[in-house]
Amino acid sequence: MNEILNLIGSFLTSAVRQAAPLTIAGIGVAYAEKAGILNIGEEGIMLAGAFTGFITAFFSGSLFLGVLGGMAGGLIISMLHAFMCVHCKTNQTISGLALNYLTLGLTSFLFLLAFGKGSSLPSIAKLKSLPVPLLSKIPVIGEALFNQNILVYLVYLVVIVSCIILYKTEWGISITAVGENPGAADTAGINVYGVRYLMCAVNGLLGGIGGCFITLGQLGYFQEDIIAGKGYIALVAVILGRRNPVGILLTAMIIGFTESLQFTLQAKGIPLPSQAFSMLPYLVAVIVLLLSFGKGYDPSALGIPYDRNKR
Amino acid sequence: MKKILAIALVLVLACCVMAQAEPTSMALSVSGPANDQGWNAVAVAGLEATAAKFGLTTTIIENVGIADSEAVYRQLAVEGYDIIIGHGYQYGEPAVAVSEEFPDKYFFATESDCFSENGASYVMACEQGAYIMGLLCASMSESKIIGVIGGFEQPSITKELEAYKLAAAAVDPEIQVLSIYINSFTDTNLGYEAAMALINQGADVVYQVANQAGNGALKACEEKGVYCCGNSYDQNSIAPDYVLSSTIYNMDQVMITAVSSIMDGTFEGGVYNLGMDKNVVEIAPYHALDEKIPQEVKDLINDSIAKIISGELEIPVISTPTK
Repeated sequence: MNEILNLIGSFLTSAVRQAAPLTIAGIGVAYAEKAGILNIGEEGIMLAGAFTGFITAFFSGSLFLGVLGGMAGGLIISMLHAFMCVHCKTNQTISGLALNYLTLGLTSFLFLLAFGKGSSLPSIAKLKSLPVPLLSKIPVIGEALFNQNILVYLVYLVVIVSCIILYKTEWGISITAVGENPGAADTAGINVYGVRYLMCAVNGLLGGIGGCFITLGQLGYFQEDIIAGKGYIALVAVILGRRNPVGILLTAMIIGFTESLQFTLQAKGIPLPSQAFSMLPYLVAVIVLLLSFGKGYDPSALGIPYDRNKR
Repeated sequence: MKKILAIALVLVLACCVMAQAEPTSMALSVSGPANDQGWNAVAVAGLEATAAKFGLTTTIIENVGIADSEAVYRQLAVEGYDIIIGHGYQYGEPAVAVSEEFPDKYFFATESDCFSENGASYVMACEQGAYIMGLLCASMSESKIIGVIGGFEQPSITKELEAYKLAAAAVDPEIQVLSIYINSFTDTNLGYEAAMALINQGADVVYQVANQAGNGALKACEEKGVYCCGNSYDQNSIAPDYVLSSTIYNMDQVMITAVSSIMDGTFEGGVYNLGMDKNVVEIAPYHALDEKIPQEVKDLINDSIAKIISGELEIPVISTPTK
């Protein structure tokens, strides 16, 4: 019995660790999408955050500055997207995809420029786990939820604050109005362009933290394409979680939990091809998606540029 | 008179052929970034060393997807490169296909299994390195549970995992080997989580065969204070207090062997197995962990390496996973 509880505890620890970057990046995307900006470029934002966060921490020696640097990196890419979508009124899917490729090339190039080719891996000391007194002693869940690095606690905070902002304040109503009916929002005196730029900024800052989580919180180094698709998985969490911060957190937890479950089952030597195990997290995601079929709901103006002079 | 003329003609022709056979340039195509601090970086270093030795001009094409490998071979041949190397199993078939169109050029693939008149595959006996890592990990384990992480479930990776299991069983039949394939060579985060899963199940020494993704596994071991072994090159610098040793692939030796055979005219198409006896596979020094490893373990390892080199100990190549 004790052994099973320990195992569940270690699954939860791993699930929280994997869910944290997806959740914070996903909530960023939710803000932008609620305001009507479709953001496929989340992968690029996270990669930029992971890179600038690492570079800043490496050269300054401070992890705090590293996180700030990561936020700045995410912000730059996200504001590029905002400029393209809001000001230039481009196709938002194309802009997002272009940013993903741009960031992949740019970070690889700058990394090469900074460290050159070689077989030694430039690395830094990672963020340490900070156990919360008392709470971390709760059996099974204590270790998982309250013995993590500081960015995980930041994620909890972002989830709570986002729930309040989106559902309990006038700001939340304004954001939703801009995403549902920008024309009406404009008539009501809401600055549609302003809200969209601001939400993209929030998206960039949170996505940047998500990227930092990988380089500063988990691995302590940077390599080309280190995000390896997590930006896309964050998008999945956003859709499955229906842009609700708690929903995003739960979806990310399910993906993280299934991932560590599949590793454990594989190591137990269950005679199935490894590919079947690797598929498991996505299979579960698809099943969840099927169960919620028909209940999905997108903001009406999602992906549609707003033009004030057009009717 | 006619006879002398004929002989002279043959000689001239032979000289022409030989002059033509002297290559002046070589090209390398790799599947990922050249600075991946692993598999590809090793090949790039090998290319540079070989080029310096033989005075060849070189070029590198990075990030070549599987579907593009044949086109890249052809393009390099048209551009006039004499020796063209593709680094990885997936380059084998394209090398053979293109080699028939350019009979005066040489096409190589590493880790593959096919060949033609002017195309060859050089297989590194990675299983020999993995066997030694298995001996080391099993001997250093206190919990009697050790772990290994593979990239994709494909023959070139599986042969390492299976050799690792054999070695562990040779040290102690009771020892339990946990293995995980993460199905990625690049997702470092998966490597990290896989190592965490192994450690949570009691593994206290972990080996990785997952290229770039495996670096994450080494970082996880460092975080948990667990010994580990690296792959492709000496990875001690990633976690100096925990990386016991690494399997090293000397791609420069592979390329020098290949180019020498062209230079001295002994080249023949085929699949060549190169292992510890050719200094292609070796293991990295223990660095700071030297004193933590008991002398009898070191003796066992040195002894086994000597037996592998002499041919007394043959490591089987098993390319389907056993559970």
